[in-house]
Amino acid sequence: MPLHYVLDADDIPEGGRVIVGVEGREIGIYRIGGRYYAIHNYCPHMGAPLCAGVVCGTNLPSGVYRYEYGRKGEIVRCPWHGWEFDIKTGKSLFDDKVRTRSYKVEVRDGKLALVIGGRPDHAEISEVTKR
Amino acid sequence: MSESFKVIDVDVHNEQNDSALVPYLPEPWKSRVAASGIGMAGSGYYSPVGVLRRDAVPPGGGKAGSDPDFLLKQLVERYDMEYVILTGVIYNISATHDPDFAAAVCSAYNDYLIAEWLPKSKKFKGAIAVATQDPVLAAREIDRLGGHPDMVEVIISSAARMPLGQRFYHPIYEAAERNGLPVAIHPGAEGAGSSTPPTAAGYPSRYIEWHTCLSQMFMAHLVSLICEGVFVKYPNLKVVLVEGGVAWLPGLMWRLDKNYKALRSTVPWLTRLPSEYIRDHCYLSTQPIEEPDNPQHLIDLFNMIDAENFLLYSSDYPHWDFDPPTHILRKMKPEARRKILYENAKALYNL
Repeated sequence: MPLHYVLDADDIPEGGRVIVGVEGREIGIYRIGGRYYAIHNYCPHMGAPLCAGVVCGTNLPSGVYRYEYGRKGEIVRCPWHGWEFDIKTGKSLFDDKVRTRSYKVEVRDGKLALVIGGRPDHAEISEVTKR
Repeated sequence: MSESFKVIDVDVHNEQNDSALVPYLPEPWKSRVAASGIGMAGSGYYSPVGVLRRDAVPPGGGKAGSDPDFLLKQLVERYDMEYVILTGVIYNISATHDPDFAAAVCSAYNDYLIAEWLPKSKKFKGAIAVATQDPVLAAREIDRLGGHPDMVEVIISSAARMPLGQRFYHPIYEAAERNGLPVAIHPGAEGAGSSTPPTAAGYPSRYIEWHTCLSQMFMAHLVSLICEGVFVKYPNLKVVLVEGGVAWLPGLMWRLDKNYKALRSTVPWLTRLPSEYIRDHCYLSTQPIEEPDNPQHLIDLFNMIDAENFLLYSSDYPHWDFDPPTHILRKMKPEARRKILYENAKALYNL
């Protein structure tokens, strides 16, 4: 699986986000609870830079007039129309089938690598741009 | 042609003089109405046509719609209707000011309907009128009459003090669901008495504006019913939007669904698109049917939202904008027309 080394793990503080460019596409890498998640910086709705959106929590499905706020720091709201996406999966909160692409992030020797397509076990180092 | 379609008419306005309710009222209301009438609040808008069909005045005189035998002859027999739902007009009492008086008038009307209309024909079905000023009193009335086999729905006014989905009104929906009855919402008193202005922009100058904008009232109430979670809280409840128009619905569904995608977290009890709740819980009556220059355009709109599954035919007899079943939706395919004229109502009201 092609690994694209993009950052040092310490480059992203807890709760933070860094957008990198890999093979012509922009990807947002988020650090949530010590783990790393990556999603395409592209909203499937109208192509907005999704990762420029606010990271937040949300009201989870609940009974009428009950509010169960949760998932703090795990949701990104698109800056254009406010759609909510689960940073961990790329799925929108209103429909599982509406999603932005998500990528696996591997931590190796203190460095972060994005797993993007290709054949398994074929690590390579690509040139990346930090935004 | 009508011969090939059975018909159920879900909006027929039986009328009576105020004095007809006096025997059914308790004091102190009996003396009040005997002396001064009900004193309904009117919207005040002038129409040169009037509200009642001039040809519907009974041969013996009196108000159009006030003679059961003539109503049977002029409407039910002429169009070979299997059932008609008598909706009255007393729901307009919700625009008056005194909750206790309004509730008493509704109870008297309901007893009058049961005693003096329903026995006249097996084709007559009744709507339990309740006033919305005090929803707890309304719920009590629904429980009082909900078991009557010929009272097939609850009816309330769309002229109200606030959007009808709000929690203030929930006792009505809870009682309706408990009794297995749909709730019909009907216009007429918009802008009168204690109700809100009749349009979102305020008070228009003329009846033509008032009447056209009645759809706005239904849009606001429908959005409220959905977003306040009424159908989540009362999952077996059905609501019938009577006489509020239909053609606006596709656009409203699209707009509300779009907004849900952004603003879902403000209504977290909705776990499906708003339009899905509308399809599952709401019915719309057809009259006054929109009449585009090209009739196919209306059918196209209906097809966009599968409207054939939740439209119910209504005539509005004996009111001025009556739609006979023989002259509407003629371009619709027969199976869809059959659902709208008959099958949807038969299923909804267990007829």
